[in-house]
Amino acid sequence: MSDAEDVDLRVELAGIPLRNPVLTASGTFGYGTEFAPFLDLRRLGGFVAKSLTLEPRRGNPPPRIAEAPSGMLNAISLENVGVDAFVREKLPALPEGVVVVASLFETEIDRYAEVAKRLSGVARVSGLELNASCPHVKSGGIEFGQNPAVLATLVRAVRRATTLPLLVKLSPNVTDIGEMARVCEAEGADGLSLINSVQALEIDVERRRPVLSNGLGGLSGPAIRPIALRMVWQARRAVKLPICGMGGIASAEDAVKFLLCGATAVQVGTQNYLDPAAAAGVVDGIRAYCARHGFSRVVDLVGALDMRRP
Amino acid sequence: MPAPIRVDAQVASLSQEGTASWRLWLRVPAWPGFEPGQFVMLSPGPRGAAPRSDPLLPRPMAVYRERRANGESEIEILFKRHGRGTALLAACAPGDRVGVVGPLGRGFGQTSERALLVAGGTGIASVYELAARQEGRAPGTARVLLGARTGADLMGVSDFEALGVALEIATEDGSLGRRGLVTDLLEAELARDASAHVYACGPTAMMRRCAEIAASRGAPCSASLENPMACGFGVCLGCAAPLRAGGFALVCRDGPVFDAAAIAWEGMP
Repeated sequence: MSDAEDVDLRVELAGIPLRNPVLTASGTFGYGTEFAPFLDLRRLGGFVAKSLTLEPRRGNPPPRIAEAPSGMLNAISLENVGVDAFVREKLPALPEGVVVVASLFETEIDRYAEVAKRLSGVARVSGLELNASCPHVKSGGIEFGQNPAVLATLVRAVRRATTLPLLVKLSPNVTDIGEMARVCEAEGADGLSLINSVQALEIDVERRRPVLSNGLGGLSGPAIRPIALRMVWQARRAVKLPICGMGGIASAEDAVKFLLCGATAVQVGTQNYLDPAAAAGVVDGIRAYCARHGFSRVVDLVGALDMRRP
Repeated sequence: MPAPIRVDAQVASLSQEGTASWRLWLRVPAWPGFEPGQFVMLSPGPRGAAPRSDPLLPRPMAVYRERRANGESEIEILFKRHGRGTALLAACAPGDRVGVVGPLGRGFGQTSERALLVAGGTGIASVYELAARQEGRAPGTARVLLGARTGADLMGVSDFEALGVALEIATEDGSLGRRGLVTDLLEAELARDASAHVYACGPTAMMRRCAEIAASRGAPCSASLENPMACGFGVCLGCAAPLRAGGFALVCRDGPVFDAAAIAWEGMP
């Protein structure tokens, strides 16, 4: 048992130094300022802002969300203020010392590259997270992240457009996550984020219609956590890239599971809705876990899972 | 408007009223006060290593009223048990923890000289404090119209009676007050005198009808919307309400109270 205060929580994720391994997930943390009444953002390793597109986007008509067993579905359609308003208005509103990772999203590859370019000279942006779970217009609406060749083209284009640390957020809606991870590594990504939400359907049985206006949505929350752990573990075995793990993290114990599977850092997502200070609690809990188990550095937990012994 | 807090509250008391209505008093440390129409997100159960995951989401609830008791702040919530989230709340015991985030949203704001409050179902919980403050500031200037399917479903009637406001009730089965809809009462009121500002909260169909009646009489109408939401503070973007001018507003951040004429009611969930 060591003293919790002495535990070294620092990690480096894809070249981004973090004071601790806990970030918050894109789409669940707005532009950060929404959480100012509830938590000091500087207690977090960092946060990933809501995905940005070239132009502002309005999003889908309601209903946009539905509750599911231990989870929720959403189909917001990436409503956001657009990259320029983010740089001009949202970033300056954040306190100094907050690590900001900007997420980007588009429907065509050259537009993705343009968003990356516009974020690249911005002092407050520490890195980029490429959201590859968007339907690609030119590939007939299949997600960029579902086809290795399309994903390769996308990562290559964005890699050329920026020198910022580049994380690629992978879709779980694939047969072989290892293959997608290898594509990202080959095309020069600096790290991986996984998993995004799991494609899902909820039905209003009285009306015999989908609950969501969009029909399909993305399932998030504790329901997907074991799937996410499995995929992080598989991606870890496939590549050397650092991994940011996420999917249903609700407590420090959940976060530690991702670290054990080989994630260097984690993101807290849907739990931010339930408890806007949840991520800070996860930081404290990881520190306590390390102290309780005699780890003086959190990095020693990374990949410490022993799969031989059930 | 008071800044919201995130805090562990404790159940002070819980009691059933009528067939399916519940009154919950929560002891809320550092409660900053609230404006009529504001709400809180409630999440019963412990935090820590194994937080509740099913049902997952907190539930938005109007703040009914507040008080100081034994030197501590308490808020009262009126709710009906109609799903898994409200069943969890109804199963609470005194001393149990309930996560509170709030007060949230923009309330009714400064009320008009003459206020006509129209509420149905659990919407009644949103307008009580509005009636109380209007009556306290300018006695005799508020009229309250309450509606429900049947008398036993009506919440808080005795509280409104205690305020001394002018009160009319409509029930669909005629078991209490007039037989019919609360919107029938509104039509009659505005036919007599259309100079009041209408404040409405209840089922979407009821509020939409209130908006139509008020518009036809040239009376201003504010409506407090109740769209499902996951967070309550402008992040999940789940509670979008379609606007007549195009685009969407967030019920939690831009509302829950809106100018009823600005809402594209046909597109409401």
